[in-house]
Amino acid sequence: MKQLHFTFRCCYLLTVSLFVSNFSFSQPDGAALFKSNCVACHSIGKGVVIGPDLKDAHKRRPEDWLIKWIKNSQAVVKSGDAYAVALFNKFNKIPMTSFNLKDDEIKAMLAYVKAESEKAPPPAPAASAQGQAEQKGGNTFLYLLIAAVVLFLITTMMKKIQHAMEKALRHKQGLPEPVKMKRWESFVHWARNNKKLLAVAFIVLSVFGSVKGWYALAAIGVAQGYQPDQPIAFSHKIHAGDNAINCKYCHFGAEKGKTAGIPPDNVCMNCHKYIKTGTLTGADEIAKIYKALDYNPETQTYGKNQKPIQWVRIHNLPELTYFNHSQHVKVAGVECQTCHGEVQNETVAKQFAPLTMQWCIDCHRTTPVKMAGNHYYDDYHKELLKKYGSDSLITVERIGGTECSKCHY
Amino acid sequence: MSEKKYWKGIEELRNDAEFVRLKNNEFFEHLPVDEKISRKAEANDVTPRRDFLKFMGFSVAAATLAACETPIVKSIPYIIKPEEITPGIANWYASTFWDGYDYCPVVVKTREGRPIKIEGNDKSLITGGGTSARVQASVLSLYDTARLKTPFANGAPASWENIDAAVSKKLADIAAKNGKIRILSSTIISPSTKKIIEEFTKKYPGTQHVTYDSISCSGIIKANKESFETAAIPSYRFDKADVIVSFGADFLANWISPIEFAGQYAAGRKLDNGKKKMSKHIQFEANLSLTGSNADKRYMMKPSQAGVAIANLYNAVARMTGAVTLNVPDAGELKNAIEDTAKQLVAAKGKSLVVAKSNMASVQNIVNGINVLLESYGSTINLAEPCMTRQGNDDAIKNLWKELIDGEVSALLIYNCNPCYTLPDADKFTTALKKVELTVSFSDRSDETAGNCHFICPDNHYLESWGDAEAKKGYYSFSQPTIAPLFSTRQFAESMLLWSGAGNNYHEYLKSFGENVNGWESKLKEGVHEMLSQESTAIKFMSEVLSASASIVSTMKSSGGLELILYEKTGIGNGNQANNPWLQELPDPVSKVTWDNYLCVSPKDAREKGWNNNNVVTLKANGVAMDVPVYVQPGQTPGTVALALGYGRKNCGKVADGVGVNAFAFSRITSEGIMYWSNCDVAKSTKDDYMLAATQLHHTMMGRKIVKETMLENFIRKSDSGNEELLIPIHDGEEKKKLSPDKVNLWDSFETPNHRWGMSIDLNSCIGCGACVVACTAENNVPVVGKDEIARSREMHWIRIDRYYTSDAAEGDLSAMEQPSDNPQVVFQPVMCQHCNHAPCETVCPVVATTHSSEGLNQMAYNRCIGTRYCANNCPYKVRRFNWFEYTTNSKFTDVNPSQSELGRMVLNPDVVVRARGVMEKCSMCIQRIQETKLNAKKESRKIADGEIKTACLQACPTHAITFGDYNIAGSEINKMWKPEERSYHLLEELDVQPNVFYQTKVRNTEAGEKHES
Repeated sequence: MKQLHFTFRCCYLLTVSLFVSNFSFSQPDGAALFKSNCVACHSIGKGVVIGPDLKDAHKRRPEDWLIKWIKNSQAVVKSGDAYAVALFNKFNKIPMTSFNLKDDEIKAMLAYVKAESEKAPPPAPAASAQGQAEQKGGNTFLYLLIAAVVLFLITTMMKKIQHAMEKALRHKQGLPEPVKMKRWESFVHWARNNKKLLAVAFIVLSVFGSVKGWYALAAIGVAQGYQPDQPIAFSHKIHAGDNAINCKYCHFGAEKGKTAGIPPDNVCMNCHKYIKTGTLTGADEIAKIYKALDYNPETQTYGKNQKPIQWVRIHNLPELTYFNHSQHVKVAGVECQTCHGEVQNETVAKQFAPLTMQWCIDCHRTTPVKMAGNHYYDDYHKELLKKYGSDSLITVERIGGTECSKCHY
Repeated sequence: MSEKKYWKGIEELRNDAEFVRLKNNEFFEHLPVDEKISRKAEANDVTPRRDFLKFMGFSVAAATLAACETPIVKSIPYIIKPEEITPGIANWYASTFWDGYDYCPVVVKTREGRPIKIEGNDKSLITGGGTSARVQASVLSLYDTARLKTPFANGAPASWENIDAAVSKKLADIAAKNGKIRILSSTIISPSTKKIIEEFTKKYPGTQHVTYDSISCSGIIKANKESFETAAIPSYRFDKADVIVSFGADFLANWISPIEFAGQYAAGRKLDNGKKKMSKHIQFEANLSLTGSNADKRYMMKPSQAGVAIANLYNAVARMTGAVTLNVPDAGELKNAIEDTAKQLVAAKGKSLVVAKSNMASVQNIVNGINVLLESYGSTINLAEPCMTRQGNDDAIKNLWKELIDGEVSALLIYNCNPCYTLPDADKFTTALKKVELTVSFSDRSDETAGNCHFICPDNHYLESWGDAEAKKGYYSFSQPTIAPLFSTRQFAESMLLWSGAGNNYHEYLKSFGENVNGWESKLKEGVHEMLSQESTAIKFMSEVLSASASIVSTMKSSGGLELILYEKTGIGNGNQANNPWLQELPDPVSKVTWDNYLCVSPKDAREKGWNNNNVVTLKANGVAMDVPVYVQPGQTPGTVALALGYGRKNCGKVADGVGVNAFAFSRITSEGIMYWSNCDVAKSTKDDYMLAATQLHHTMMGRKIVKETMLENFIRKSDSGNEELLIPIHDGEEKKKLSPDKVNLWDSFETPNHRWGMSIDLNSCIGCGACVVACTAENNVPVVGKDEIARSREMHWIRIDRYYTSDAAEGDLSAMEQPSDNPQVVFQPVMCQHCNHAPCETVCPVVATTHSSEGLNQMAYNRCIGTRYCANNCPYKVRRFNWFEYTTNSKFTDVNPSQSELGRMVLNPDVVVRARGVMEKCSMCIQRIQETKLNAKKESRKIADGEIKTACLQACPTHAITFGDYNIAGSEINKMWKPEERSYHLLEELDVQPNVFYQTKVRNTEAGEKHES
């Protein structure tokens, strides 16, 4: 019976989750809302960040209380609610930001918190496995090298033995020593006898050389994999990966304008006013933010001697190219990772994409345009559907996305 | 990567002094570019083979070296980001341009806190969103390297504390002994600043404020005082006038409130939407001004004739309306012209307007008399709404001068004017200035006047300032800083506030000043706060002034010799912004000459005296003699010569210094006021010819219909008059027939599925002022190339305004047709890339660097271009520009190109690339604005509204001559404008290159056979 009950529950959950995923269009996305609004201060099951850990928060307080609290926590505190006052005092009287969200949005968020709370803690990241793989790659090369050296030694030795035996044989049969040729003469002698082989080798080498040369020239100015040292040992892995802070929380320009932007120091301080010690580097690296702002963590005051942090720019798109983040992030809905790689797993940020024109164009040739629902495209979309038949065939290129003056002006 | 360091050679490793000196140069070796292109080398300019190989070898080596190292780029975020700034997104602030000369409510585009572009504020009822070349260029003046970085005391940098202490102490000492304190300023239109001056006067009772305009309208104010007992300049309504008569007043470019008047003038002459009526404009003038070149009827008149001519016009009008005539001499050769003008004026009684430039009150009294007879007051002139932009009082400056010479003045504060440059006999003023115990200048640079003052307290640029303005009674506008002061400068108003002891913060003072308290924030946001216009009240004309004026006017007689007239150019104006390279490079709309002033001579005089362009002559007038180059200017009245004001600056900055001669030296002060004309002598000098750099060397259309025009009566009769369908003869087998060019086209059409951008230019509205040229320069990072390059026809402007004169020659006589008439009719035509659908440039590019977009634009990929220049050769409109140099680094352009200094680069538009050497460039139809608007629409999930995209030229235009939009939207403005059956036509339509830009025929309000008489 218990077994049956469990199976039934699983089926129920599955159905519900299917429904939820099917209707996620019309309903607010709790996970996304949570990630963009809450993760800067809260975690679910990973301990206190700035505010309390929200694991099982739905069990601690009723939903309508939570809605009131999220909308305006200070109003609840001022109303004299005992739980609220205690909570406020417990967390150093740091007021929680008021969120201008709709009720159903908050409910979706709470549902997400509930779902996350019930999940088992995620397994530890498979960092070690990856490390091994790298190790393995390195060893193969070493073995090959050793094998090559050994082979070389063996051939040299064999050659010497052969030479000595020939000499001994000649000596035994009383044959004269052959005329000693200079190295060059012997090569010419050999070449005369092996004209075809030489011609083939020459052709192969020149083709190989041109192809290699072509790619070498094409790689000039391409800084793929560029991973410079930064003034602060900032880890995207800890921020975006482990703590799941939304990329756009810090790179807030991505949806608005041309540049995603390096976050100004005041954005760092939203959290690092309270988080003074890092997981990997201790207090030293975070202190660099304080130094830039001339901030005294003891007295919580800012001085006048503020100097900006000079980050090393990684993605250096040439000036002749106009690129706009909001076009790709907001309008096309491209994920950050598409062009920047799995940044959430990187301890030191690096250039993932080659940023060459070919790379841009290749994507524009294959990516369909998100036209449905955007009223800018209304009539144009209908026309294109008539022409190409399917949304997936209306690529960026087909609406003029590879024309020069889309990016060059 | 960041750890690695590559050395370019052992010299860099050792850090040799020579290496350090050379490392910022484009080339390590000195390349003899300057010598190569100097005039001397021109004669035998051959590059030897060895030199060629040397250069080529060097270029290869340099390119290899440059490719070796990828520089490390820093990304420096804000420490604490201001809430309103998002990097990459422009912020707009409303403000007001006023430099004592031009007024314009503006909105300022800032990027990451830097002002980069000025647009007109279309909420203003005065300017209606229009701008002028000078307003457009004013943003560059903010980044002028010649601006003072600190205040100066006795020629040495000082701190504000020291200056305040020293000045206050001096002022107190002077006040204690009842010394005279004088404030000399240009017109101040800020009510709060005037109030602060009052406060200052209260504290130091010996103070008097003298208002002095370098180009004075004092005569009009004085005349209105005499005629109507109202000492003010009235508002004029050129849009309400059916007949406009101007005696020398260049109201479209310089006179009183040109942006406002240009807008009104064009409104009264637009023929859109089936309108078949336009005003008639008659101009009497000596030199061919911008206004005169737009006139329907232009008469040539010597400046000495103006008074008598105006008095005769009065008499003619009086006779027709039954009023008493004046006793004045006969108008001589102008008799018929005046009779004819009077008839037209009287026929349009109540809807006519007469204006005159003359600074003589007696002449202006008679002008007032004419306007009273014509019942213009209450319709085209409103005295109840006085215009405040010219308040200068010539009597006051004369008085001050006398006091200075007598040594009576103890302290002189000079604000926003430059008397040591603009006054006649400026040297005497400078000497007198030295007698004054305390002289303070508020100039932003150590110019002619400031250099002679004890203290220089540099004023902020207007983009760094707070302020208010009342350009017309009841029409307020406001200024707010768009950037923190770049240097240690302080606003004039704040300095005066401090010294008067009435406060210490001008911003606070302004907020609480008068009505400002109410809705301050929204007033700042809107930029303008304009009350309902004041109804014209009944006027009382003191007709007795007329006879006295007539007797003064009667004494004005021509000496019979040459007369010199001083005029203002559309770009440089009174010389305030002479150090602005955009304005220096803007071709004069009429002569098309850049970077100079010159003596305009009539073709008749030039023929008789044997003068040619570029000859140097010695000009003598009022005891001053100067050598000036000659420019033969059609339309210049025979017996007169003209010289532009605003040039010949000293210590103004490296751009302005040494450009042209100072024409203010030829002005004179008479009992009537400052006069900008006089008798003169001109004799050929023995000096070598002087090169003038003009952008247009061919002046007539040679019988071709490049600018199509027609007469109003023909247009009324037949709406395609002047724009008849063009048919070209072709052979079809044996048969000969005529077809329209698009029937014989070889090319396939391009598809434009989503948008198809188009532009219409109304030649009837374009007045040729050049605001679009400067706006385009600012928007598209167009480089400044300097005079030398322009002389080689290598100017870089993406939009040019072609000016054509009519010729008297018979059709077919080609060499005679090249000669313009002595008093030609003039047409202006802005020409930029026409974005042809069958573009000749696209088919000849060997590397496909110029292609056609699916939105109908001809696009240019700079980095694909290898510089063959085939496209420019194949372009029938000659709108493509080639980058001959790296203008931003080459030392040849250090003095002229603002992008060579760190400060000057701040004006660059970050959305448009700065083109490298060796590539072709041209108008992109402001593609960055199109793309931005499209993106905004996509982000907001909506259609682009018609008229939402404004190109820089369109937005700057004071007459709204340009329309831009999407042909693919049914009923869009641009679709409505395209009426080939009326006035629309393509330039050089016989080629059938199918441009996306089209023009509207110019219509002149003239009668059959009528032309300007020589």
